[in-house]
Amino acid sequence: MDSIFEFQNVTKRFGKHLALDQVSFRGERGQVIALLGENGAGKSTAIRIMLGLHTLDSGTVKVLGLDGQKQGEEIRRRVGYMPDRPALYEWMTVREIGWFAAGFYPLGFQHRYEELAQRFELPDIPIKSLSKGMQGKVSLALAMAHNPELLVLDEPTSGLDPLVRREFLESMVDVAATGRTVLLSSHQIGEVERVADVVAILRKGRLILCEPLEVLKSRVCEAVVTLSDMETVPPDLAGNARLIMSQRIDRVWRLYVRDLDDKGRRDLVADSNHADVKFQQPTLEDIFVACMTSNTGYFEAATESPKELA
Amino acid sequence: MFFRIEPDNGVAIYEQIARQIKYAIANGALRPGELVPSVRELAVLLAVNPNTVAKAYRDLQNESVLETLRGEGLRVARLAVERCRKARQRLLEERMSAVATEALQGGLTEVEFLTLVREVWITVSGKETALKQRLDRD
Repeated sequence: MDSIFEFQNVTKRFGKHLALDQVSFRGERGQVIALLGENGAGKSTAIRIMLGLHTLDSGTVKVLGLDGQKQGEEIRRRVGYMPDRPALYEWMTVREIGWFAAGFYPLGFQHRYEELAQRFELPDIPIKSLSKGMQGKVSLALAMAHNPELLVLDEPTSGLDPLVRREFLESMVDVAATGRTVLLSSHQIGEVERVADVVAILRKGRLILCEPLEVLKSRVCEAVVTLSDMETVPPDLAGNARLIMSQRIDRVWRLYVRDLDDKGRRDLVADSNHADVKFQQPTLEDIFVACMTSNTGYFEAATESPKELA
Repeated sequence: MFFRIEPDNGVAIYEQIARQIKYAIANGALRPGELVPSVRELAVLLAVNPNTVAKAYRDLQNESVLETLRGEGLRVARLAVERCRKARQRLLEERMSAVATEALQGGLTEVEFLTLVREVWITVSGKETALKQRLDRD
């Protein structure tokens, strides 16, 4: 099946700043792909590249089968985009901006926009008089009105109250339920955990991880090992288990481990120096923080693309 | 259908959905023959990924808890109630197993553990009786 979008070895610099470094990942039709990372990690850059708004220093990007560097305009006509800061003419009313935007899209846009505006219960007043949440909904309605195959949301719910955030989530889910693809970058990891099929993590311009959320959560575990005699190196791990992050306070080690199988667990429990071992299923937020604070060289060791970090 | 989904409690979301549907059937909140919401409806209601709902529904179909009603969707199977009661029992057993393991690791003897269980049962059933009496009175 053709992917909806595909980055291959994308590198992008702004002056001396390396914003994206050999980034490769793809999204399939009908998936919800979440892009996570600290501020400045390169998420917005990656999104703008997806919309054909940047030339690349190297690599290729294809969106809906179109070349991201040569066919940007066509991409932007077919993709729904909600930027992290609303790009709205605030003096226009809710209705007027729909009419205005309709000029860029095929017929039917304005009608669908008005349906969405009604569904979101937006009053027809100047946008500058709307609350932040309602402005966000205008932005979302504009992104969805042409029924795009790919909906790209750049931190759609940041700064919004929980009720509006919930409404946004429901809209995203609805889009995915009708077989369309959603790419969202977000700091709201709890929300991402509910709706994402695939999670991609950017760290300082590098894609350190990209895989189905289910797989990620099932393959990473947290082990808290209390030692009888203190050791300043983390406990050994058997077999294919790899240490993502380790942390020690006195005699207690906290380990984030990839692919710790039953034997590996038994070995940890059986070790004569291990007074107590507890295993826990980490949340996505835990995993994210562990990846960001990885101190074991786990991500540096990979010379393959991060998807092969299996 | 107003399930509580906690994406971070260690149980996969599709499993949480499947369990809560089974509980609802075991309790009679969902009755044999009744339709469940479509994947899309439930996904939006719970604000979770539609594939997750689809997986829960598939699993429930494989377990013959839900069945397709051609043209309409999925409904609760006729013999689902008994199956769900058994499933609820199994889950209870699992949780008790975890508690027993904890007690064992904590050094409790069998007598101490069973005494504890009796005390807890008396307290809990006492509360239940008291609550029921209050509700019957009002």
